[in-house]
Amino acid sequence: MTAMLAVENIVQQYPGVRALKGVSLSLDTGRVLALVGENGAGKSTLIRILAGIEQPVEGSLRLRGESLRLTNSAESQAAGISVVSQEFRLVPELSIADNIMLGHELTSGGVVRARNTRNRVQELLSTLGLDLNPDRLVSSLTTGDQQMVEIARALSRDFDVLIMDEPTAALNRAEIGRLHGIVRRLAAQGKAIMYVSHHLDEVFDLCDEVAVLRDGILVHRSETSELDEQALVEHMLGRKPQTFERAVDAAAAGNDPRLVVDGLRVGGFDEPFSLSVGAGEIVGLAGLVGSGRGELTRALFGDRAALAGRISIDGVPVQVRSVAAAISAGIYMLSEDRKSEGILPHLDVTENTMVSRDPKSVSGWRRLVPSRRSERAVFERLRGELSIRVPHGGQLIGNLSGGNQQKVLLGRALQSGCRVLLLNEPTRGVDVGAKLEIYQLIRRLAAQGVAVIVSSSDAPELAAISDRCLVYLAGRQTAELAGPDITEDNIVGASVGQVAVGGTHG
Amino acid sequence: MVDTSQAQLDAVASIEHEREESARRGARAARRQSLLQKLGIIIPFALVLVAGIILVPSFLSASNITNMLVNGAILAITAYGMTMVIALRGIDLSVGSTQAVAACVAAVSVNAWGLVPGILAGIAAAIALGLLNGVIVTKFRVPAFIATLATLGIYRGVALLFTDGAPVMITDTAFRSIATSSLFGIPVPFVLSVLVGAGFWFVLEKMRFGKHLVAVGGSPESATDSGINVKRIQLIAYVAAGATAGLAGVLLASQLGSVNGSLSTGLELQAIAVVVLGGTSMAGGRGNIVGTFLASLLLAMINAGLNLLNVPSFYQYIALGVLLVFALSVDSAQRAAVRRVFEGRVA
Repeated sequence: MTAMLAVENIVQQYPGVRALKGVSLSLDTGRVLALVGENGAGKSTLIRILAGIEQPVEGSLRLRGESLRLTNSAESQAAGISVVSQEFRLVPELSIADNIMLGHELTSGGVVRARNTRNRVQELLSTLGLDLNPDRLVSSLTTGDQQMVEIARALSRDFDVLIMDEPTAALNRAEIGRLHGIVRRLAAQGKAIMYVSHHLDEVFDLCDEVAVLRDGILVHRSETSELDEQALVEHMLGRKPQTFERAVDAAAAGNDPRLVVDGLRVGGFDEPFSLSVGAGEIVGLAGLVGSGRGELTRALFGDRAALAGRISIDGVPVQVRSVAAAISAGIYMLSEDRKSEGILPHLDVTENTMVSRDPKSVSGWRRLVPSRRSERAVFERLRGELSIRVPHGGQLIGNLSGGNQQKVLLGRALQSGCRVLLLNEPTRGVDVGAKLEIYQLIRRLAAQGVAVIVSSSDAPELAAISDRCLVYLAGRQTAELAGPDITEDNIVGASVGQVAVGGTHG
Repeated sequence: MVDTSQAQLDAVASIEHEREESARRGARAARRQSLLQKLGIIIPFALVLVAGIILVPSFLSASNITNMLVNGAILAITAYGMTMVIALRGIDLSVGSTQAVAACVAAVSVNAWGLVPGILAGIAAAIALGLLNGVIVTKFRVPAFIATLATLGIYRGVALLFTDGAPVMITDTAFRSIATSSLFGIPVPFVLSVLVGAGFWFVLEKMRFGKHLVAVGGSPESATDSGINVKRIQLIAYVAAGATAGLAGVLLASQLGSVNGSLSTGLELQAIAVVVLGGTSMAGGRGNIVGTFLASLLLAMINAGLNLLNVPSFYQYIALGVLLVFALSVDSAQRAAVRRVFEGRVA
């Protein structure tokens, strides 16, 4: 049987980087192939080539045995390849219906047939189990719904090959379940599907075969059933995974409270937030969308109006009316949206670490004209401490992997001289290896006396790093877990409103 | 133990709740945005109209009404093309110069070859200039602001060279009567501006091209990845901007009866002001043709009112600048209002 789609000896090169070093891979009809690998392994590059966005330096594509050349995304779509990209390709100013049909509108004589379009889209949305009005503007949707619209868009075209790049990143469990059902049905209809995911349980649950990319090379391909999770991770890393030793600093909880929040009212939530974090303590915030944990961290960072309440640091009341005020009070936050609210892509890593530098750490005219040499020295020290993997301090941050970007941003937080550090989804889009390093870094920061708040939707993450974990549902704290009670089950249970669990689970 | 099925039910309930909540927020944001968009033009329109009627003598005289409708119509026609270009995050600073070339070419051609060839020659010249703008922006990849700033100078030079810097009198009376004649008591330029506006509205709201235009203006990367030919859309928009500037130029030539190379100097400021005041965002996205039309009439009212009050024309420049700042701040306020609904941000 000839493969539906085959790539042969694909080589792709960016300035200074060989992203793909001769990859051959085939997709068969009726099969779901998982493509896994750490960030930077070349998955996205391969997808961009199949989507027609990039052209490979060497190698060829075959569709049903026939040679295929793609020079733009329109050609890829015309050949029957449909891609759900990781970054949403939606136009906020257009309605759901217009977005889904964009580029292949139902028209007669150039005029859009509004009723046909609406019916077609309504049908598509209901197969996805989405109860949304097709006329709604995409800008008004939640991230999860936008993701579903992005998927609906890929399904609305005629395709034989479906490529999904982390389609479940913004979905909740129920939606993920529904999506898996659809993927299975499409495979049963004879479509060839490539499924990229960081979630290994998805790989084992959904996919027939698994292919592993590492450093631009296909290192493994087999039936999913021939592997277990441990073996798959070893293939991805090329070594045995390190395990993160959960070393709860019980003493830290007894330290003097560094950050005390009392009766902080945030718009949109009925109950005020109150919490305290000791010096050197890591407090996790858990909760579903709408739990208010994100809004709470923004309010603490002066990025969102607090309507009432008191915040004090080391016993001294502080006012955080703006981000600048929060930073000078010793609070620093890293956003969950690293790309648009974290990194400054056109600056190099050194400049990125220095933008929030505490002005008191430099004197006189050097505040206005920073010394490049001293900045370099500071960065070199950080590079070692935080094990940031860059060739030199002049590297642009935009070219780094998610994990390395996050380390640079942690370096930036350190340079701000903060005493309270707020982290939102610190390891989103970070691969397995770098994740553990970031946990260790957070632990080290806490050991230096920083009060750390980690807000995360990743329950295993919170179970791994927090000394104490607060769980919220719709702005209300439903549980405060400590020590051995911080388990994935307890966090998930409390985030959907189950009564706080006392004692340890048998 | 955690009861998974119950937990899942709760999770689903909470998702449903979140979805309803987001639908409500979405509707609220859309309401606020459209309200601000409409109020941004309707309130000033009503205020100026009432003020004009109360304060300005003979504001409602037949001759002043005709005058306002004709001037507003000519500006509106120019601004329709600009609406498309601005919706694409572009800009066309050369509209005034393009209009001057079109008017001069039309005047000379009417004198030489007669009515219809003259009109066609004027519009064709403007289309060619619009095409050149589009080619410079899309093929030579020059940012629109710089590209059209350059052609603003070039086209002005062409207009002055073409007329040798001297005024051109139009002798054809049929041509001169176009702008002053009426159809059922309504000035012909106004009828034209409504028809052309309706055409633009149809293209933007109902046609595939319009959807693609919003896509390119709202999110160029998404448009490219959807297989839309971004450059083609941009090229067409610049050609449309040239064409409407040319049509308006022909009408202007007919209205004035005599043209020269420095006609319509500074028109770009007026055209941009009415587009933005009409609710088309400089940040790209959706073009608002109805808003552009109303804003053009508003500007014509202001100018006519100030003229009738014998206010020196220097003040009209100031009024225009103030109007532009007002329009841009409404534009920003609009986007901030939507952001607030979704994110509750302070900034």
